[in-house]
Amino acid sequence: MAERLDESAAGAPLFANGTPARAPFVFFDLETTGLSGGAGTQAFLVGFAWCEDDVFVTRQYVLTRYADERPLLERVAGELTRAGALVSFNGKSFDAPVLETRYLFHRLAWIGADVPHVDVLHPARQFWKGDDCSLVALERDVLGFHRIGDVPGFDIPERYFQFVRCGDARPLAAVLEHNRLDLVSLAALTSRLLHLSRVGPREARSAREALALGRVYARAGRDDCARAAFQHAVEHSRAHRDRHGDDVRLDALRAFALSLRRAREYARAALCWREILDTPGCPPLFAKDAAEALAIHHEHRARDLAAARTFALRIGTAGLNEAVRHRLARLDRKLETATARQPSLSWPSPSSRSSRPSSGSPTSGPRTSS
Amino acid sequence: MAGGNLVKRGTGLGDLPTRDPSPSRDSALDQALGRLGGRVSEQIDAETRPPRPDTPDLHVTAVRRLEAVTARYAPFPDALDARLKDALAARGVPQLYTHQAEAIDHALAGRNVVVITPTASGKTLCYNAPILHAILQDPSSRALYLFPTKALAQDQLAELQAMCEQIGGTGTPGTGLGANTNRDPSPDNPSPQIGVFTYDGDTPQDARRTIRSRAHLVLSNPDMVHSGILPHHPRWAKLFENLKYVVIDELHAYRGVFGSHLANVLRRLRRICRHYGSNPVFLCSSATIANPRELAERLTGQPFELVEKSGAPRGEKFFVFVNPPVVNQQLGIRRSYLSETRRIAAEFLKRNLQLIVFARSRLTTEILTTYLKEDFENVWGRVSGGAANGDPSPSIRGYRGGYLPLRRREIEKGLRDGVVRAVVSTNALELGIDIGALDVSVMAGYPGTIASTWQRAGRAGRRASRSAAVMVASSAPLDQFVVRNPSYFFDASPEHALIDPDNLHILVDHLKCAAFELPMTTDEAFGRHDVQEILGVLAEQGLVSRGRESEGSDADSRPLWHWTSESYPADAVSLRSVSSDNFVIVDTTHETRVIGETDFTSGPATLHPKAIYIVEGTLYQVEKLDFEGRKAYVREIDCDYYTDAITYNKVTPIDTFQTGTGVGESGQPTPVPVRSHGEVHVVSRVVGFKKIKFYTNENVGSGELDLPEQQMHTTSYWLTVPASVMGALPFAPDDRRDGIVGLAYALKQIAQLLLMCDGHDIGIAINDEGTGVGRGGTGVGTPSMPTPVPPFPTPVPSIYIYDNYPGGIGFSAPLYEMHGELLAKTRQLIADCECENGCPGCVGPAGNTGPLAKAAALRILNLMGQTKIATTEDTEMEVL
Repeated sequence: MAERLDESAAGAPLFANGTPARAPFVFFDLETTGLSGGAGTQAFLVGFAWCEDDVFVTRQYVLTRYADERPLLERVAGELTRAGALVSFNGKSFDAPVLETRYLFHRLAWIGADVPHVDVLHPARQFWKGDDCSLVALERDVLGFHRIGDVPGFDIPERYFQFVRCGDARPLAAVLEHNRLDLVSLAALTSRLLHLSRVGPREARSAREALALGRVYARAGRDDCARAAFQHAVEHSRAHRDRHGDDVRLDALRAFALSLRRAREYARAALCWREILDTPGCPPLFAKDAAEALAIHHEHRARDLAAARTFALRIGTAGLNEAVRHRLARLDRKLETATARQPSLSWPSPSSRSSRPSSGSPTSGPRTSS
Repeated sequence: MAGGNLVKRGTGLGDLPTRDPSPSRDSALDQALGRLGGRVSEQIDAETRPPRPDTPDLHVTAVRRLEAVTARYAPFPDALDARLKDALAARGVPQLYTHQAEAIDHALAGRNVVVITPTASGKTLCYNAPILHAILQDPSSRALYLFPTKALAQDQLAELQAMCEQIGGTGTPGTGLGANTNRDPSPDNPSPQIGVFTYDGDTPQDARRTIRSRAHLVLSNPDMVHSGILPHHPRWAKLFENLKYVVIDELHAYRGVFGSHLANVLRRLRRICRHYGSNPVFLCSSATIANPRELAERLTGQPFELVEKSGAPRGEKFFVFVNPPVVNQQLGIRRSYLSETRRIAAEFLKRNLQLIVFARSRLTTEILTTYLKEDFENVWGRVSGGAANGDPSPSIRGYRGGYLPLRRREIEKGLRDGVVRAVVSTNALELGIDIGALDVSVMAGYPGTIASTWQRAGRAGRRASRSAAVMVASSAPLDQFVVRNPSYFFDASPEHALIDPDNLHILVDHLKCAAFELPMTTDEAFGRHDVQEILGVLAEQGLVSRGRESEGSDADSRPLWHWTSESYPADAVSLRSVSSDNFVIVDTTHETRVIGETDFTSGPATLHPKAIYIVEGTLYQVEKLDFEGRKAYVREIDCDYYTDAITYNKVTPIDTFQTGTGVGESGQPTPVPVRSHGEVHVVSRVVGFKKIKFYTNENVGSGELDLPEQQMHTTSYWLTVPASVMGALPFAPDDRRDGIVGLAYALKQIAQLLLMCDGHDIGIAINDEGTGVGRGGTGVGTPSMPTPVPPFPTPVPSIYIYDNYPGGIGFSAPLYEMHGELLAKTRQLIADCECENGCPGCVGPAGNTGPLAKAAALRILNLMGQTKIATTEDTEMEVL
């Protein structure tokens, strides 16, 4: 893992909103007395981890007396200064603000804001999970880790309060272990992300990973890499249809189509849009965008006015707006001048239409062929 | 605006005369007043004569003329920053009114000050001037403004920004965001940028960080300070370190539960300020109440200076009380006060006078708006031909909470411009929102308190011409008392605003918040109670923990109480409602959607099964009340009645604090103790409901209910009717009982009047089982009955008026002190009522209480006023 982190370090800015994140990566995770934030929420355990000569080192600061918080924070600041990038799981929304409040409480400078910060939660959502994106779920499904005898998160503050009340530190041992495991998983997930971003979509295990990777590339302006990743995602999802397959495939097709259009590969983009439009149960917004893109394509590039009109009508299934009316009127004018010269085309075929239950009532469907 | 004083943003007219020449407006007003009733014009003509005695049988019961007052000016205090003086002069304020100068002097000298001055007398300058001065002197200075509503903060924001732009010279107009990038506090900089921001529940999350770092003036409300600022004080360190002034606008709004909460929020605020080494000066403004200084001191725990003599000019004003004529003498039913209001408003509108109509509920606001629109807007539309000359045609608007801010701003502007000729409003426009000066204020129903009535009346008033305020009484007892006794309103001092910052329930809630914000020291005080003991109890619950004695000797390691709970205590405390628990109302007519909420205590009474629930005139019927889930499922219904719940309250005294005799006819004490106050246990249960027809108020049906009971410990005042009095009543037992019920009904209204509280703040219950003596109490026994068990079965009823809030809110002791006044005013209310057997205006509608309720209640009060023990024989001589 340490080696992988090392060789893939250059990819870190991809996940840090373009800030110059670099090695050494310092993983950090807090255990707090509550989730609400504010002056009364304390970080009683600040865990750090990093790789040092192929060894994964964990260092945990535990607050044993309230009066020690200030020196603890001063030591923690030292850890922060030597980080090339902070890496956390949901740290941008939770851990960093909670720590910041503690520094402000003690009138100490908060230097965390100046250190590049990679919050793995956001890429994790894109790469692996949309719904239950807890660290424990990710490590189970992505990394294949299974914790034994782990303290559930909701139990942690009470264990600390128990320690505060009676001074018995034994229940805290399991909390320290929980925190350490969080750091290990965090590092492993980070390593996987950086590795993927270095090697590219061929290493992707799912269409979703490839799609997310494409988006990461696209945000960084690496269009060629992005297009390749999207293509990989499309192909992967065509090959492995599962419960979520269609959603990912449609997302990938759409992303692919947009990136193709940007690269001026209009014909290939049109094929993607058509595949979207022909997918049964395609979400109306997708269908509308696809129909609009196809109408534009057929009117201005393919110069197939009848097809353009068919697609323009499809845009309007959700309700004719001004732009669609305008487009239709223009197409009708063009068609009038053109009918003398060529017969209109019939497209798409009625059979593909009838298998589309959600695309609007049959009467409002394309009817221009007659 | 004559007088050359900056009062409100947007006026800025300096000494310009008003557009309409005053004389024609004055004569129009006189004409309209003349149409209200014969006596009005008579009194206007005979200005020098004292008003005739108030005769309640007449339509117009009182006309008072308030003299015009000329302005009294004072120069700017020498100490005031020259840049501020220049900016004020540029905005049309070359000098100050005397009260402004006085208040500014106090503030500059670091003395807390409370200013009571009428509407539109320039009170905002009293606190804006010293604050802007402080910032000009030291740009690190900060100030916090607290307004009771978000709308008021918005209103002030514009004025303050305009002011700051003036000071900043070429300051960037607009929101102020980004306007103060130059944070160089160089003393040579002649025009520092002053950041003014509102910070409330509507402030977007991403703007909050900017505001925290840039705002010199933070405009907020107590709720936001309680839950959004104090618990996050480390992020507000800059504010708290440099906090020079705290402004509390509309101080009188903070009474009862809300005020008691605010007092504790301010305790927390001052505690945090001490932590950061600041000690802000409090600048407060209040409407006229009896005890503004006391209220300010109770709220803040600080001594105050009072500024009460306004130097602002005022035009002549007439104040008229109208009692709609009786249409059914026997039942005491009067013509609807809404129709009467409509008629009166029309008289003014016809004569092109601009007016505001205050209604008491959102529903009546909408009804009156509809009436007046029907009466006038069509006519205007035809006459002016719509927007023929480009001007918007004159209009009549409604205004209440629940309208979108944009619509409200538009209405306010319309009023200032004169396009909106009349606005019908709830109390939303009672507070200081800038709507310019209007000609007439018409109140549909007595606003409930003297202070509030003067506030609403103050919405009309021009400096150079006449204005009028008209109060149209409804048939509610309070209204009838006031309209028939105008001297109560005009000559008595206004109400006391009462709070109880040491209510244990409220205090404990805020103590938790305080411990969350900053550990409590083991010798720290918080209010009057021994908080160390309370902290001990919280420690037993595990909420706080006392740090172990340290081994070290450093000063930091003295033992402290730490917050040791995951919860965020401020979230569990709502400043405005009695309990933070609530019921939501779910409409299931079409799609399921939440259409409203009701606080927990009034839930059962308003949301019981089959109850009619009204929103903006739409009627819903409750189909199911999920008591555990705190949800009421309702469905739209078309019906012609509403429902009124029957609540059964049982009060048991637990600890009697004080017991005393009453006050007799000649000021001598009554022979037996009759009044007490102390701690009680209240059990209430909604047992049924009545269906009442709209407009006619007929009782058209009823139903029984089986709902869980609610319990609370609170404080109460109670009146014990001695056995000698009960025994001396020449009525059958049932009629005696009716007399007690009727007396209780009237007492509650008067208690509300004396306490300056909402009807919801106090509850009433009758206990006629025992002697009213609490266990361990000092005894209310009568000389004739020394034993707790009466030798004969004459009931000894007690009427409890309790604080409708767990732990009590401080009404009981004052009510105990006001016992004599309470009984005298109640007697007056009942005796002066011209109905025969009781009506809604005295002992309750005749159908509700028995036929002899009025007579029995009056007899009881008369007997209680006697200074020797009455026997059955000599009471025969009493004249009813």
